[in-house]
Amino acid sequence: MSGNEINRRDFLKVMGWSGAGVALAGCDMPTTVTLEEGKEKVTSYVLPEEYVIPGVGVYYASTCQQCPAGCGIHGRVREGRFLKVEGNPDAPLNHGKVCQMGQAGVQGHYNPDRITKPLIRKGGALVEASWDEAMDLIKQNVGAESTLKGERFAWVTGTVSGHQAVLLQSHLDAMGSTNHFAHEIVNNAVSQAVNREMLGEAQPAYRIDEARLIVSFGADLLGASQSPVHFTTQYAKFREAPRGVLVQVESKMTLTGANADLWLAVRPGTEGVLALGLANALLVKHKRDAADLPADVRDVIAKYDHDTVQRITGVAGDRIVKVAAWLNSQSPSLVLAGGSAEGQAHGYDTAAAVMLLNIILGNIGRTIVSSGDLPFAQMEAKSGNTAGLLALADTLDKGGLDAVFVYNTNPVYTAPSHLNLAEKLSAVPFKVVFAQFPDETAMRADVVLPIHSPYEDWGTHVAGYYGNQISIQQPLMEPLNPTTRGFGDLLLGMLKMRGVAGYADFEDYYGYIRQAVAALPAEMKADAGSEDKYWQQVLQRGLIPVQRKPRSLTAKAIAVSLPDYAQDSEYPYHLVPSPRLGMWDGRYANIPWLQEAPDQISKVVWDSWAEMHPLTAQKLGVMEGDVIKITSDQGAIEAAVYIYKGIHPDAIAVPLGQGHEKEFSRYAKDRGVNPLKILSPVREAKTGELALYGTRVKLAKAGRNEALVKLGGTDQQMGRKLVATVTADVFRRTEGGQDVA
Amino acid sequence: MNAGRGIVWSWALFLPLAVFLLLMMSSAQVYAEVPNAVPPKGDHKGEDVPQPIEFPHDIHAKINEINCMYCHTYARRSKVAGIPPTSKCMGCHSVIATDKPRIQKLTEYWEKREPPPWNKVHDVPDYVHFTHEKHLKRFVFDNEELPVERVSEVCAFCHGEVKNMTVAHKVKPLTMGFCVRCHEANKGPSDCWKCHK
Repeated sequence: MSGNEINRRDFLKVMGWSGAGVALAGCDMPTTVTLEEGKEKVTSYVLPEEYVIPGVGVYYASTCQQCPAGCGIHGRVREGRFLKVEGNPDAPLNHGKVCQMGQAGVQGHYNPDRITKPLIRKGGALVEASWDEAMDLIKQNVGAESTLKGERFAWVTGTVSGHQAVLLQSHLDAMGSTNHFAHEIVNNAVSQAVNREMLGEAQPAYRIDEARLIVSFGADLLGASQSPVHFTTQYAKFREAPRGVLVQVESKMTLTGANADLWLAVRPGTEGVLALGLANALLVKHKRDAADLPADVRDVIAKYDHDTVQRITGVAGDRIVKVAAWLNSQSPSLVLAGGSAEGQAHGYDTAAAVMLLNIILGNIGRTIVSSGDLPFAQMEAKSGNTAGLLALADTLDKGGLDAVFVYNTNPVYTAPSHLNLAEKLSAVPFKVVFAQFPDETAMRADVVLPIHSPYEDWGTHVAGYYGNQISIQQPLMEPLNPTTRGFGDLLLGMLKMRGVAGYADFEDYYGYIRQAVAALPAEMKADAGSEDKYWQQVLQRGLIPVQRKPRSLTAKAIAVSLPDYAQDSEYPYHLVPSPRLGMWDGRYANIPWLQEAPDQISKVVWDSWAEMHPLTAQKLGVMEGDVIKITSDQGAIEAAVYIYKGIHPDAIAVPLGQGHEKEFSRYAKDRGVNPLKILSPVREAKTGELALYGTRVKLAKAGRNEALVKLGGTDQQMGRKLVATVTADVFRRTEGGQDVA
Repeated sequence: MNAGRGIVWSWALFLPLAVFLLLMMSSAQVYAEVPNAVPPKGDHKGEDVPQPIEFPHDIHAKINEINCMYCHTYARRSKVAGIPPTSKCMGCHSVIATDKPRIQKLTEYWEKREPPPWNKVHDVPDYVHFTHEKHLKRFVFDNEELPVERVSEVCAFCHGEVKNMTVAHKVKPLTMGFCVRCHEANKGPSDCWKCHK
């Protein structure tokens, strides 16, 4: 209202007059006309495309690039503009469904903070430059004539797969380097390592739909997981009659936890102990056959009797008995470990203890089956993890790099402060970032190359989970900005720049992909008739189904060693840096829709908060909105308290996503905190992954209150009977309800 | 008496009928004769909207009797009627009236491969879903008594007598009340979501 002040009284007066006007004017005299004439332009085609009808949308199949899951999508395009994402019903990975992050891709594409021109560092600042200038610089530094060779060059990326991975590998080979650091915060690297040892395959398929009981130790299947939409479609089948039962064990309730039939708050880091306790009950109480288990494994399990487990985990004994009884009676079951269980110094042993349960219960080969091997191994997903980030930091420590290329990851934002990554990166003489947005890493580059949005670019991808197809990414519209370029085109350009044999003939990445599809075995195209028809078919479907070669999984039980729970008097609480479907690892803080979409548990929007148990709040003497200071041995962050029972009293959860530097986005600046910054240098002992959940903190009141903006005022029904309930006894008597055990 | 009473009775019967018939006839005279349709009521005095080329609807639609849908070809297929592509204009005007200044200006745009920057006259807010396609289906294509040659009479419901104009003028209010009363009169859908979706 600035510049045109109307106070409330004037406003009411105006309202009164126009009301009278309506009354006097009679029935058929409209008093207002809503739109001005002649203020907007209406543009016609010069020469219309035959199939284009203005106002009627056309759908193109493509592949979602919002997270590494690789769902098939249909993009609605009207008048040459990409408008909406839908799930591709032909994609067996996601069956026509797509999540909020996929939907919100539109706002990344049209984001006002996109980088549109190449940037070059001159005199300390990044300034706009021409492509020629930028490419000349790259040629000087890493071209065929440059002296740079071997391990002094590195690629830092997120998860990459398909022909992107192939070209990236070729470029590394051409540079003579093996340094490819693939980094993702949301990953299951520890479980993959455990699977590799115990099952002989890093990423088997989980048949959630086949299970009658799922016990999940912190695996947020429906939220921040390897393939949230895929798992959710399977989960829907799991819940069909006869309804499967879900038990979730974790110290901070995730979206999956909120959907569970039984949610168990476990003392942070003791998930493995509970798993062994359940194994113990299965062997001792339920007399499960343990003859195949090695003696050392049986010895470990024997140590975790009912009382010990109850003491360490803090889970009530009757609950342990109940879950063990369910596991014994419900078959097949599926027991999974996820982020919070793996993200500890002893994460490997925790995940192994969980897998042990599957072996005892005979789930291997039933609900855990082989994913098999892709016939085109070089296209298989190279999944990012935090070991990649740590390895990058270690390499930088040794001063080992002269040039770094970064694509689709933002390590300066995700790296904890103790890694000093920003500082270490700045010591690298030549840093090129392929970026859509001016994120923390891009702003520290020497050259920033503006790349197409995923909806403007070509690509092929193979999902890291359920990679039963080569997914095709095709442009949904002409690039919004004529000065951005495709990442594949740039990669191809780099290969040509190095004079790598075999790439000179490809004019662009599209040509390369077409050639690659043309080179597929003839039996895959038998139905199409001709090469061109096959290509049309591929584009229409958005994917090429491939037959993976299944392996036979092993069921190798290994003896694990878990620590007893240790109190820390200086830092008594456990920090849970919680990712969620939406903000993910913070890459979507620049998307207003996802900022606006409330957190699934706290319902808070546009901000960070500190989630704590009512008992903890009572102990500290804080109410909702009171700001607390969370201090680890690496620093402190401040956030307003959100009080909720879905968290263990020893845990304090701060969501990932906020706390970006101001250049990144107008929508993310000055907003919240980044809990990753205060992570302690705890590494998972066997895999070398960053123990994301292994940080101890202390809490103190900051002495001020900042009201949390959230949907919903209270989590109580206040006697309003919003959700009608009956006791289990009444339910059994009147509605034929049955307890699962 | 008997006869007289009879006359009185018959007048008493006839009067309302006569009034009814008169009303029927007068209403038929006031409104356009599109069968199976009650045209919307209401007028609006639109502003003069200057256009890059003063396009003469009268020459095309009245003198040469070109069907509206010949140029606004998307009206029957889409929510928008569409401004005809420049190529459509040039289909005729590469040979017809090439000496006229307006056509020369059009040809300039064509040669530059640019559409003329037309100013929008008729519009509804973004939260209103209006579709030409459904309205033409109801009043023209599903209306067996109206030959498609007379489509301009249906167009006139909302756009007025465009065939008497050069560039278009907004002469109907196109407000929600205007739409709703027409929907009521013609038994159109009354569900909020039909338009606000």
